[in-house]
Amino acid sequence: MSFIIANHLTRQYDLSDPWIVRMLTSNKRKQLTAVDDVSFSIDKGTTYALVGESGSGKSTIAKMVVGLLAPSAGAITFDGKMINDETISKADRQRLRRRIQMVFQSPYASLNPRWAVGDILKEPIRAFGLFDSRADQDKRVNELLDQVGLSARDANKYPHEFSGGQRQRISIARALSSQPDVIICDEPTSALDVSVQAQVLNLLKTLQKEFSLTYLFISHDLAVVSTMANKIGVLNEGKLVEEAVPSQLFAKPENPYTKMLIDAVPDFGKV
Amino acid sequence: MSDHLLEIKNLKITVATRRNVLNLVDNLTLAVKKGEILGLVGESGAGKSMTGSAIIGLIEKPVKISGGEIWFKGKRIDQHPDEVRGHEISMIFQDPMMSLNPLWRIGDQLIEVITTHMNISHQDAIKKAKHCLVEVGIDPSRMNAYPHTFSGGMRQRVVIALALAPNPSLVIADEPTTALDVSIQAQILDLLKQICKTRGTSIILITHDMAVISQTTDRVCVMYSGRLAEIGITKEIMAHPQHPYTKGLVASTPQIDASSFEKMLYQIPGSMPALDNIPSGCAFHPRCEHAHDKCRAERPEVLSNRAACWLLDANEGQ
Ligand SMILES: Nc1ncnc2c1ncn2[C@@H]1O[C@H](COP(=O)(O)OP(=O)(O)OP(=O)(O)O)[C@@H](O)[C@H]1O
Ligand SMILES: Nc1ncnc2c1ncn2[C@@H]1O[C@H](COP(=O)(O)OP(=O)(O)OP(=O)(O)O)[C@@H](O)[C@H]1O
Ligand SMILES: [Mg+2]
Ligand SMILES: [Mg+2]
Repeated sequence: MSFIIANHLTRQYDLSDPWIVRMLTSNKRKQLTAVDDVSFSIDKGTTYALVGESGSGKSTIAKMVVGLLAPSAGAITFDGKMINDETISKADRQRLRRRIQMVFQSPYASLNPRWAVGDILKEPIRAFGLFDSRADQDKRVNELLDQVGLSARDANKYPHEFSGGQRQRISIARALSSQPDVIICDEPTSALDVSVQAQVLNLLKTLQKEFSLTYLFISHDLAVVSTMANKIGVLNEGKLVEEAVPSQLFAKPENPYTKMLIDAVPDFGKV
Repeated sequence: MSDHLLEIKNLKITVATRRNVLNLVDNLTLAVKKGEILGLVGESGAGKSMTGSAIIGLIEKPVKISGGEIWFKGKRIDQHPDEVRGHEISMIFQDPMMSLNPLWRIGDQLIEVITTHMNISHQDAIKKAKHCLVEVGIDPSRMNAYPHTFSGGMRQRVVIALALAPNPSLVIADEPTTALDVSIQAQILDLLKQICKTRGTSIILITHDMAVISQTTDRVCVMYSGRLAEIGITKEIMAHPQHPYTKGLVASTPQIDASSFEKMLYQIPGSMPALDNIPSGCAFHPRCEHAHDKCRAERPEVLSNRAACWLLDANEGQ
């Protein structure tokens, strides 16, 4: 059975002028449909990738899946439970939040510069009440740092003391700290150099195997996606225009938009 | 006479900090031929933009050129860059708004550049401006439009038109498509390439993207920690990289290829050293699986006109 199911997800943004301006100018309300009736499902332990150009609605979907943004219509089911159900209890919601974590594109913006790395990693541990004693929390921090290829000494350092790739490892460690089942990766390597990108992508794969993590992986880079995804969904202007496994999508793209995206990738191989 | 348009000899760019002097570009030697596209590739901090800025004379204090020479069309320009900047050599930046004035109509910006650098009448400048827009695929009826009414991709087209308007012999493009959508990136690079090939203009294309290098350039110079690692014909370097760092870069770039679906990528161990902590000998040696004693002790020269790596030294062997 699918672990995550997005069912007819739609999200509109209201771009209207304030009502008083509308009254005076008789401008109509303006709605932007950023995500338009998108459905997909992800099996446990697999990676589903969403690709598309800037503004196609990728991050909007990510935010809805992680619960940061409510859908205008449609629903997300996670492990048999509806995430956006109003009737869900506070305790259940907290439990769901622990199980779905997110890694963002910019490791600069997403890490609090005033906190030492150890505190950044402990915050979710405390918030979700995972380990009570300080000793256990410290042990867990060391374990997390080790899992992402950093050392226990790094717990006392601050984010600015790390390179971009190392900072992204810290973001991943923080996502792991609440022992999630799902990680939403929104352009996790777009700000990184190729050699650093390879390290971070490999790390994500190793962790996936070790903890049977489920990934929703968002990127505009088809080459990256081709090495990461078990299944790929192509977004164009908020609509899912094609979905396929990599071997099929790249060999026989069916949608003209998908073809255009693939043709735009510099052909590295043909030298 | 050599067929070199630009020659950089032993260029050194430094910055003095409170504690020490950092080498941002260290003993770089390279040349650009007339009409060719040379790629400058390397990781963030490798010194690519610094090299570009030095050529066009935009190095600002506290950073300075502290050694070497830059020659352009047989004249030494590192002392007097103003004579060629903007007119013989122009620059395209990553962010199109670095080159555009938001308050001016794009037509007026083009005419301004043309009349500043070329000795022609206003009427001819208008004609030329329109022609420049057509060349980059923008309808000349948009002469009166302001930059903010264009999309990112169209703005970068206008910037290309501006950079090429005074008929420069060399264009330095610093990550010209990094801020653009994938689908537009290819269009812009093709456009730049096609115009320069028709006109015989040379380009130095700065990027950290090996795929862009492979698609666009004739020759490529790979930089590591401010130093030249490898230089040569792009096709040869992509197919048979000689420097272990170049090999790593090529291998770690994800490619759409049935054999790599769902597979691990090759990864270079470790990370690029900080500027105040450059290793002895070859800067890459701590990350190189083939490093031997000489690599740790002695900085490699560029061997066989190709790579700064002792492994190329037939006498050294392994
Ligand atoms: N808070 C908001 N208010 C209004 N419009 C928004 C808001 N957030 C996003 N949008 C719009 O919704 C559309 C989809 O945005 P989204 O951020 O999901 O795109 P994306 O695919 O993640 O793009 P990118 O690759 O640039 O990150 C865009 O047109 C965007 O301008
Ligand atoms: N004023 C300065 N003081 C100290 N170091 C500086 C200064 N300006 C630049 N640097 C350093 O010089 C090095 C080379 O910078 P440069 O901008 O040329 O790199 P780059 O190869 O273009 O990288 P990127 O891909 O990130 O643009 C970097 O490590 C940078 O931090
Ligand atoms: Mg986004
Ligand atoms: Mg740069």
